[in-house]
Amino acid sequence: MKNFNFKKHWSRYGIIYLFLVPVLIHFCVFQLYPILLSFYLTFTDWPVIGEPKFVGLKNWMQFFSDRLAWKAIWNTVLFSLYYILPTMALGLLLALLIQTHKKGTGIFKGIYFLPVVTSFVVISGIWAWIFKGTEQGFVNMFLTAVGLEPQLFLSDSRQALMVLAGLSIFKVCGSTMIYYYAGLQSIPQEYYEAAKIDGANSWKTFWKITFPLLLPIHFYVAVITTIGSFQIFDSAFLLTSGGPDYATTTIVYYLYQEGFAGLRLGYASVLAYVLFFIILVISIIQRKFLDNELTYK
Amino acid sequence: MGKKLYRQWPYILLVFFAFLFLSPFLIMLIGSFVKMRTVVGNPYLWLFQENLTLDNYRYIFANGRFIQWIANSLIITIIPVLSQMFFAAILGYIFAKKRFFAREFIFWVMMAVIMVPNQLLIIPRYIVFKNLEWINTYWPLIVPELWGVLGVFFVRQFMMTLPKELEEAAYMDGANDFTVFFKILLPLSKPVIATVGTFAFIGCWNDLLTPLIYTTSEEMYPLTVGLASMLTKEGNFGVEMAGSVISFIPTFLIFLFFQKYFVKGIALSGLK
Repeated sequence: MKNFNFKKHWSRYGIIYLFLVPVLIHFCVFQLYPILLSFYLTFTDWPVIGEPKFVGLKNWMQFFSDRLAWKAIWNTVLFSLYYILPTMALGLLLALLIQTHKKGTGIFKGIYFLPVVTSFVVISGIWAWIFKGTEQGFVNMFLTAVGLEPQLFLSDSRQALMVLAGLSIFKVCGSTMIYYYAGLQSIPQEYYEAAKIDGANSWKTFWKITFPLLLPIHFYVAVITTIGSFQIFDSAFLLTSGGPDYATTTIVYYLYQEGFAGLRLGYASVLAYVLFFIILVISIIQRKFLDNELTYK
Repeated sequence: MGKKLYRQWPYILLVFFAFLFLSPFLIMLIGSFVKMRTVVGNPYLWLFQENLTLDNYRYIFANGRFIQWIANSLIITIIPVLSQMFFAAILGYIFAKKRFFAREFIFWVMMAVIMVPNQLLIIPRYIVFKNLEWINTYWPLIVPELWGVLGVFFVRQFMMTLPKELEEAAYMDGANDFTVFFKILLPLSKPVIATVGTFAFIGCWNDLLTPLIYTTSEEMYPLTVGLASMLTKEGNFGVEMAGSVISFIPTFLIFLFFQKYFVKGIALSGLK
């Protein structure tokens, strides 16, 4: 009789034992435990070799008085300012263009989306040369051709962050386009027909109908690009190594430097938690606004 | 005529942006066929001025290190892609269709952990890998990527829309979970599983930060880290671009054949 029960139990839950249980163990070992361990590490000094040594709040105190850490946060915020609005605007523009010109736009959609799937390493290699700070640089060649001064770009502490933002805009706006395109498809055609009857031109229709109706998309895209911008690392590592004069030392680049070049893993964990808190706050704001959006409807 | 041209402006803009977006890729492609250490002039003119050559590609393929990087990238991409597709499918099924203790709780705890950025995990995982003596092996690049909660979420959402009657009829006929999953639900979920696979491929193939930290010797580098090391060390533009082209080809092919799955995946992630 007992044997029979086991068989029944197995036929109902066997698939769970076989596949969910290993995944749960994996989840605990490689996700949950590291998150908790990381929190403990913020209270320790650990130069990779030997055991972590408990030092209390020292790392957290150090963070609040670390001017470079705050500069890294400021740089990241500045990067977001350069990056978020252009990515959204360009994505929306491309979506509108594809929408207006329905026939044969598949290839254009593909072209705009191409950078999204390309690695930062590949794009950075090309970017390094397009924005080379000498007269042989691609952009500088055009500037000198029309009689403008060649720019230093990546070697100029005021321009470097903008060049990195440009790279990210190029890389990401294809996915913003897809979100906006999906949003445009979901706007009922009747609105446009009504506007047409009222004699509204396309400019007015866009600002009075399309733009406001895309509000949930604007919001969603703003949140994901903001979260993405706070995690920027690859281009700062590849193109500028955080320089010149720490102008492109972003939060994650600083974390990497402190942790794996400076071998201060305890302090780097503090930086990781700071990043986590920032992202958490953005996500909570997103939830709040999206909920309001739903109740409004 | 003038008015007609004016009406064509969206199309002209589309073409203009297409040229702008393709330019970096064209420069990369042309640059890979030009033999020069540092770059001079307009790459579009090189097509006519310079002798185009395959030397950069020859150099790369004569270089055992480079072949090794490609092989490493393939290993740390293909295994996670297959595994992520499989686990997304079966866990998506379990969370959508099976009833068991604390199902919703387990699922939402997993989903909540997505909020934690990968950058927070790299340091504590370093300790875990160090204790397992996995540093500078493939394991740190493969094992954490064997499944992903977002893929599970995609498949779960999809399977929840499938009508219950489908499975119930099969269970009546005496089928077990495995038959229901493999014979009925899996074939229906192919598109969403393909989406999971394409995203996993791009994620693994393009990842830089993780292998940068967990690989310490050149022969363990994947292509991204190898190229990055060339970018700073070698300073040979043509070879760099040839390497970039090779690194770009697999993503391009995947993109070419699975474009609609990318678009679907992005739309799906918007549902979160």
